[in-house]
Amino acid sequence: MNFSNILNEIEKNDPEVYEKVSGRRHILKSFGAKVALASLPFAVGSMFKKAYGKTTDVVIDALNFALELEYFEFNFYHVANNTGNLIAVSDAPGFLTIEAHEKAHINFLINTITTLGGTPFQPNHYSDAVSVPPYIPNAYDFTAQSNTTYAPIFGGVFTDYPTFLIAASVFEDTGIRAYMGQMQTFLGNTILTQAQQIAATEGRHASFVRLIRRNMGAVEIPAPWITNNIPPLNSLQSFYLGEDNTTQLGISITSLPDTYSGTGVVPEDSATAAFDEPSDMTTVMSLIAPFILP
Amino acid sequence: MEKVADVSRRRFFQLAGGITGAGLLLAACRKSPPNTKYLGSGDIALLNFLYILNQLEAQFYTQASTPGSQYYGMTHLELLCITDLRDQEIAHSEFLKSILGANAVPIIKVNFSAVTFADRTSVLTNAATIEDLVVSGLNSAANLFVNQTYALAFTKMVSVEARHSAYVRDSLTPNSFGANVINSNGLDQVSTPAAVLAAAEAYIETTFDSSKLPN
Repeated sequence: MNFSNILNEIEKNDPEVYEKVSGRRHILKSFGAKVALASLPFAVGSMFKKAYGKTTDVVIDALNFALELEYFEFNFYHVANNTGNLIAVSDAPGFLTIEAHEKAHINFLINTITTLGGTPFQPNHYSDAVSVPPYIPNAYDFTAQSNTTYAPIFGGVFTDYPTFLIAASVFEDTGIRAYMGQMQTFLGNTILTQAQQIAATEGRHASFVRLIRRNMGAVEIPAPWITNNIPPLNSLQSFYLGEDNTTQLGISITSLPDTYSGTGVVPEDSATAAFDEPSDMTTVMSLIAPFILP
Repeated sequence: MEKVADVSRRRFFQLAGGITGAGLLLAACRKSPPNTKYLGSGDIALLNFLYILNQLEAQFYTQASTPGSQYYGMTHLELLCITDLRDQEIAHSEFLKSILGANAVPIIKVNFSAVTFADRTSVLTNAATIEDLVVSGLNSAANLFVNQTYALAFTKMVSVEARHSAYVRDSLTPNSFGANVINSNGLDQVSTPAAVLAAAEAYIETTFDSSKLPN
């Protein structure tokens, strides 16, 4: 096997191979001679991984999906933070922080999408925006009045604090699952790291909201993490389908020995809580559709 | 330099901190302590890096949840959360160990001398430090894996570790879930595996040869 020949073969099909891989042809020409034969497959694999990742269009689509969710969340918190007598005074600083983070995510994603040559998503009624990033009063109905299933649940979302907290929990958990669902698209791209950084921030938000509900005595005693697939209300089960997965990379987590506490194996509750499961674009969009105005 | 080579790595750096001669420092670095654990290279090194971090967390919460060493005033709901944290970190740790098989580093020897387990503030403050480190490490490790299947599996742990950090932070100081860790783009922290491991070693007695750890 001759490394230069491989590159020549690729060059016949893709004349830009050298530019894609490093832009420095002469280095690659001498590459084969300098890399130990045993490590060649790994060196070549990692080199091409970066050059031939997912196409930019797919990445932009995924980023625009994320941007759509960030607009959704920003508008939700913006309305809540500007509604008197809704959020407990002691929790108000946290929700202002969350709104600021969602705003930062919107700006970051717009910049990233633009840099990649894409067109950033704009919510419906974008022209009615009253702030930047847009607070768009006509884009969302978080009380979901047009939906017979959601309306009885979310009717008091901006008048009743426990209802607001249920909505916030569900939106944050779903947001995290949405990012998890797009990570495959970002593999081999620096955006993977940034998407993880955003997902981590959203994880902190979810924990904050869930701990408030726990301390307020919510009936299912929510932990800051998702235990099994337990929703805040049974009627919101659809947001948590698949969260009770106990198998990772083909390994059954509940079969693993519990080395430290000596209780036998990893308990199922923790095996599920230890991983936030992905949710795909179609599922997430169908879950939030009842809150989006036409 | 013979005496320096005999003491632990932490003690070594404490000593080295006072040494200004760079040549002297470099000469000392060439000798590894005899019990140093080699992480391996490439993906194996990254897996061992994450395994070490999650072992550290598992052992921390095991001690914090053990009757007799729980912090003073721990409520029932708090004990349930600390126990959850222990079991989730055990899940992560055993998952990584299972992937690594014979390549796994041994059970690490921790050094929690900086932690006062009877004191709530000490436990939660140190827990936050460790959790934030793990978030940083998971974020940098993701794109360093050659086998991207690993990256996809461990990305599911990032937001969970962030949930952990937020829990201990908010328990200590309400509304502090993201204080000083989220940048102006709304992004959580990322640090190189080498930097994260170096910081985590403040809690670890075992010494590591991480010379082949991707960065």
